Amino acid sequence: MEMFLDVLSQLAGGFVTSFLLFILTLILALPLGLLVSFCTMSKFAPLSMLSKLIVWILRGTPLMLQIFAIFYLPGILRLFIWPQMNTGWEWFDTTFSTRFIAALVAFAINYAAYFSEIFRGGIQSISQGQYEACQVLGMSKREAFFKVILLQVIKRIIPPMSNEIITLIKDTSLANTIAVYELIFEAKEFMVIDALIWPLFMAGAFYLLFVGLLTIIFGLIEKKLSYFRS
Amino acid sequence: MENMLEVKNLRKRFGQNEVLKGVSLTLKKGEVLSIIGSSGGGKTTLLRCLNFLETANSGEIVVNGKTVYRAEDGEKPELTPEAQASFGLVFQQFNLFPQYSVIDNLCLAPKLKAKREKQDRNEEIEAKARELLETVGLSEKANAYPCELSGGQQQRVAIARALMLSPEILCFDEPTSALDPELTGEVLRVIRSLKDSERTMIIVTHEMEFAKGVSDKVIFISDGVIEEEGTPEEVFVNPKSEKTKAFLSGGSK
Repeated sequence: MEMFLDVLSQLAGGFVTSFLLFILTLILALPLGLLVSFCTMSKFAPLSMLSKLIVWILRGTPLMLQIFAIFYLPGILRLFIWPQMNTGWEWFDTTFSTRFIAALVAFAINYAAYFSEIFRGGIQSISQGQYEACQVLGMSKREAFFKVILLQVIKRIIPPMSNEIITLIKDTSLANTIAVYELIFEAKEFMVIDALIWPLFMAGAFYLLFVGLLTIIFGLIEKKLSYFRS
Repeated sequence: MENMLEVKNLRKRFGQNEVLKGVSLTLKKGEVLSIIGSSGGGKTTLLRCLNFLETANSGEIVVNGKTVYRAEDGEKPELTPEAQASFGLVFQQFNLFPQYSVIDNLCLAPKLKAKREKQDRNEEIEAKARELLETVGLSEKANAYPCELSGGQQQRVAIARALMLSPEILCFDEPTSALDPELTGEVLRVIRSLKDSERTMIIVTHEMEFAKGVSDKVIFISDGVIEEEGTPEEVFVNPKSEKTKAFLSGGSK
């Protein structure tokens, strides 16, 4: 029993880290994704090409690789650019917060790429007539987007968005590869140190419960937006 | 009486395809102009150029003696808010904002305009919206959402919405073409009541009987030019052009 409570509190601590990674990624990736979708749809060809290239790379390579790249590349580059500044491998000895930030940056840009395509699909599915109605009523493009288009887009993208967001909470477990002490990392500690397998399944239950909660929240949002059809 | 609207030699190309080949027309205050013609003839493009949804390649648009748009071939003039505000447009597909109630559909654009001008006119705007809803006979639907209305009701809301900004000239792009036959009557009645209140209107329509009854002036457009124009009598009863005769007899079959 004591062991159980010990595992529970350790895992709860790990889950707090997972959740922080999850919520901060969302806060960064949602607006960034919207920005990227605008770049992709830009009529200025170089911008849209660049944006499509970046989205291709971010969706086309494993997230784990991107986490490594963001975590190790700055140090490696520094080694090449200012070799004299490095007396050894001390740059590798990073604090928890820098590892956490590296993981967060990787998640944010990776998810922004996926979100941008969902936004693009949603925005392009809104009929031209909505924009034209805004124009003849004298609204600016900005007013049209934020006052008329955006909510219709949000309504349409909730199902694919909830899919991605549910995937995100489970993807946070990839941060354990750079020793961010999130849920799976903590569970693995028990496996390695105490030779216990069940904490891993308990970690699974944490994800399951959280996804259940997310499902309920998305259901509520869908219901809230069901008062109109578009 | 002076002309409220003068359109001079308007031309519009899409790629190599010239859709408007120099259209000129005039309209006096309180007059109703109907534009008829077969699909692809350019009548909707003309209306869209007047509402600046398309940019005419060349030509001039004058409202109340003031040039609101003038383009030589190859240049793209800046569109001013005043030019846009001279015209209102009612769409074939209504294009109401689905997430807003009827009253908010009417108030959104005027309230945003007041906000831009840093004025607080919300009460005045809402009062005007209720008045216009009464005009189109939909006072009791003020708090309904567009998806709860029939097509005819939605189009009447769209008409009220277009009137909120008091455009000099109200345009209709086939206002009843997306409606079931039994719903066209209510929309046409509203348009007719607007004529009685001296509103200047341009109507692109396939409803020949309606056009005959409501218009002061009729234009038949074919292949991007005005093939025939005149009073409803002249165009419908005694058309001079062979094309007009063919179109009218085809339409009555």
